Amino acid sequence: MSAVASTSHEGFAEFRKKVTGGGVYAFDICVDRMLHGKLLRSPHAHARIRSIDLRAALQIPGVVSIITGEDLRDLPDPYYGVGLRDQPVIAMDRVRYAGDVVAAVTAVDEQTAFRATQAIMVDYEPLPALMSVAAALAPGAPLIFEEPTRGGSPVLGAGSGFRIDPAPNVLYEYSFAYGDADHWLGAADQVFTDTFDISRINHYHLEPYVNVAWWSGSRVEMWSCNQDPFVLRADISRIFGMPVNDVRIHTPLIGGGFGGKSYCKMEPLLALMARKAGAPVRLALSMDESLLTLVKHPASLTLTTGLDAHGRLLARRARIDLDGGAYCDASTLVAIKTGFRIGGPYAWKAIDSCARVIRTTTVPSGSFRGFGGTQASWASERQMDMIARRRGEYPLALRRRNLLKVGQPFAPNDSGMDCDLAAGLDQLVAQMPPAARKSGRGMGFAIGIKDAGGTGNHAQAQVRLNQRGDVMVSAAAVDIGQGGPAAMCAIATQALGRPFGSATYAAVDTEHTPPDNGTHVSCATTITGLAVEAAALDARAQLLAFGAARLGCAAADLELEGWSLRHGAELHPLEPMIRSYYGGVGWEFAGRGSFKEPYNPATPMGARNVSWMPCWSGAEVEVDGETGQVAVLRLVVGADAGRALDLGACHGQIEGAAAQAFAQAMFEELRYQGESPANATPLTYRVPRAADMPAAFSSFVAEHGLGAGPGGLKGIGEAGMVGIAAAIANAIEDACGASLTRIPFTPERVLEALDAQSSNICAASK
Amino acid sequence: MTIPVSLVINGKTQAFDVGAHHVVADVLRERFGLTGCKVGCDQGVCGACTVLVDGAPVTGCATFMFAVDGREVTTIEGLGLDGALSPVQQAFLAAGAFQCGFCTAGMILSVTALLLRDRDPDEATIRQWLAGNICRCTGYNAIVEAVRRAARQVAEAS
Ligand code: FES
Ligand code: FES
Repeated sequence: MSAVASTSHEGFAEFRKKVTGGGVYAFDICVDRMLHGKLLRSPHAHARIRSIDLRAALQIPGVVSIITGEDLRDLPDPYYGVGLRDQPVIAMDRVRYAGDVVAAVTAVDEQTAFRATQAIMVDYEPLPALMSVAAALAPGAPLIFEEPTRGGSPVLGAGSGFRIDPAPNVLYEYSFAYGDADHWLGAADQVFTDTFDISRINHYHLEPYVNVAWWSGSRVEMWSCNQDPFVLRADISRIFGMPVNDVRIHTPLIGGGFGGKSYCKMEPLLALMARKAGAPVRLALSMDESLLTLVKHPASLTLTTGLDAHGRLLARRARIDLDGGAYCDASTLVAIKTGFRIGGPYAWKAIDSCARVIRTTTVPSGSFRGFGGTQASWASERQMDMIARRRGEYPLALRRRNLLKVGQPFAPNDSGMDCDLAAGLDQLVAQMPPAARKSGRGMGFAIGIKDAGGTGNHAQAQVRLNQRGDVMVSAAAVDIGQGGPAAMCAIATQALGRPFGSATYAAVDTEHTPPDNGTHVSCATTITGLAVEAAALDARAQLLAFGAARLGCAAADLELEGWSLRHGAELHPLEPMIRSYYGGVGWEFAGRGSFKEPYNPATPMGARNVSWMPCWSGAEVEVDGETGQVAVLRLVVGADAGRALDLGACHGQIEGAAAQAFAQAMFEELRYQGESPANATPLTYRVPRAADMPAAFSSFVAEHGLGAGPGGLKGIGEAGMVGIAAAIANAIEDACGASLTRIPFTPERVLEALDAQSSNICAASK
Repeated sequence: MTIPVSLVINGKTQAFDVGAHHVVADVLRERFGLTGCKVGCDQGVCGACTVLVDGAPVTGCATFMFAVDGREVTTIEGLGLDGALSPVQQAFLAAGAFQCGFCTAGMILSVTALLLRDRDPDEATIRQWLAGNICRCTGYNAIVEAVRRAARQVAEAS
């Protein structure tokens, strides 16, 4: 996420391109002699591939080559995944979900490639499908993988533990504990145990996955929609056994991602297709295929929470099952982050949490805006309300009593809270005018939270300042809609004292761009921003040193004023000074900067969390007790940007995320029917349209000034995702007493909850 | 089978042959280089490929090229004059009514058509009209604000 200096939308050339049709996306890349790819996908959820007959397909005129699992034989390491690598570049002997890629055709055009996929004969031996966590964990369930999983766990630190392949069909287990949970739960005045479920959703980024690749000699070059160019470069280099410098990734504008375009996906397969075809190949997936590529983890979370007699939180035990789907993707990290964040924004004496990733024969689950924070905050903030109601107190009072204070660490040895959680809550409440009490109406609140900036992340940057004072910023933060490049330019020009309009953001190309860990985990403004700021200050220092040498004074005696140097009463215009010394086309002061959050084994994540991303959420709903229909009348969502570079961009990030969370809470879901998704098409998978949004939907941007980034700023890109569902469910309970513990809040579930409530009341009155 | 067509694209008459199966979005992108027309769903659902045909929005991915024979097609590249932005483009820029920008050309064209019909649409009208255009990034508030701005600008200019 990012934000940009005000007025920048009009002044920033890249933004202008987005309203004139001039912006270039991977989707638009077209190179000479370019061929086209199409993929054949498995119709079975689980099957052994007995044989693949390509003869008919290869005879179709225009078909150039076809890749199958056979072609992986000469690759040194044909698997990918974050930490744990279990996903083959293309199915080898087995398919593990309906949608798994079995063959990849390259042909002169898409129609021909598509026709060829239909002519491929695959002989499958169906195996039992494991469509749910329960089925995968059932005694005697067949194994989705027979061999042990390759790779290792991501970095972790004190209090965290992990097990790889701990049980049949369990990929990974993360545990996190501090304090003595047994003791504190035993000593608690009240203990509550509740279970919460969350559904499967897809990113539905409007630009499908699209990449164009070609080889020249032993080098491969790719135009990619992937949001992590250097991660992708590293994966392709490892999979093909080639030096990273032989892999060149270009990242143009990205048409949305929300996590779906992070980490490696079909790009190595495309590299293989281009190598076999001996020509550039474009592989553009359809949106149907995007729906079969990655989803957000469905999960079930059981929380046992103990409080003392004064309503202070003591300890929480969490048992979390994440449905990881067929392959790991980023499941390891999502398990870590869900388990770690389960305490929410509160102070505890003890936490004991365990999050497992269970393999099922469904679409792989992976990175999605919120990244475990959505699942954890949903369960945690919903249970906070349920506990308050059972205790007969106002839910906000329970929250206020237990909130972490500014500077208080989220977990032992972790960074302190870098915002005022209570102040944000006050700001939220002030924007939720108490409605006239009316039957069927209610209000609910939640404070979602997620750490931001990733674990031990780093970034490098270059800022070049020329003789005219023009600025060229070069860093690997890509533009995926968050305005990252504009934010980097704002940070650089602020550090240099140059006008925002003087900055240009260099194209992202791994051959020239200084590396970072990828544009995800809401890290660009903070991590890359710090590197850019350092690079700008370096360029400025070089400029002042140059001036000092020319003027025969100390650099400390000089000040930059406009594009001149002030030395006491004298003002020396810079351009003539630089030109007279360097001549020719001029000169660039090229500053370098970097940032690295050091690893620290004493912290639970293995490094301090760089910043914290709270999501203050409030909802007002009206529930129709007859039909179970819920209308969200008002939705207010706030986040802390630390310092906003561009308020408009911050509102946009918060609201965009909140819209996705709202849809997940109310209706959006990728559903399965038997072994295949029931609604994996653009038409049947429903995302919110303009008229679906709540009648009153607004956001606020807090600026608590405590972020780790330049001038106290920090990322907010995922914030809006993590509090909304709980706020709406809490409002529903406030409105009618229906206690919902499963997302989405369909009318059937509301009616069911209402029935349960009335039978409880009957039972209680007997 | 090819079919001769003659139509006006962004103010210029073009006569050429198309295949019976060719859709507007592909022809605009591939033959005329008008890549501002984006294809998201390719199934007439998301509106990213929206172009104007005689001032009315249609989905370029789901409209055969032969069906626009003799008509006037406007794409995002055809808005504004001599490098200046149209009022709707200007309003989208000023309101920051886009993030990734993949839906933006379709949105701007759709809104352009709305303002041709209704110069002062209320919020409900705007939201209903935008039913044909999905934006997965913004949550729509900034887009609705941009439509209001554009309407004001059009009203002031006339
Ligand atoms: S691309 Fe044409 S409607 Fe989606
Ligand atoms: S700006 Fe990305 S879909 Fe609308």
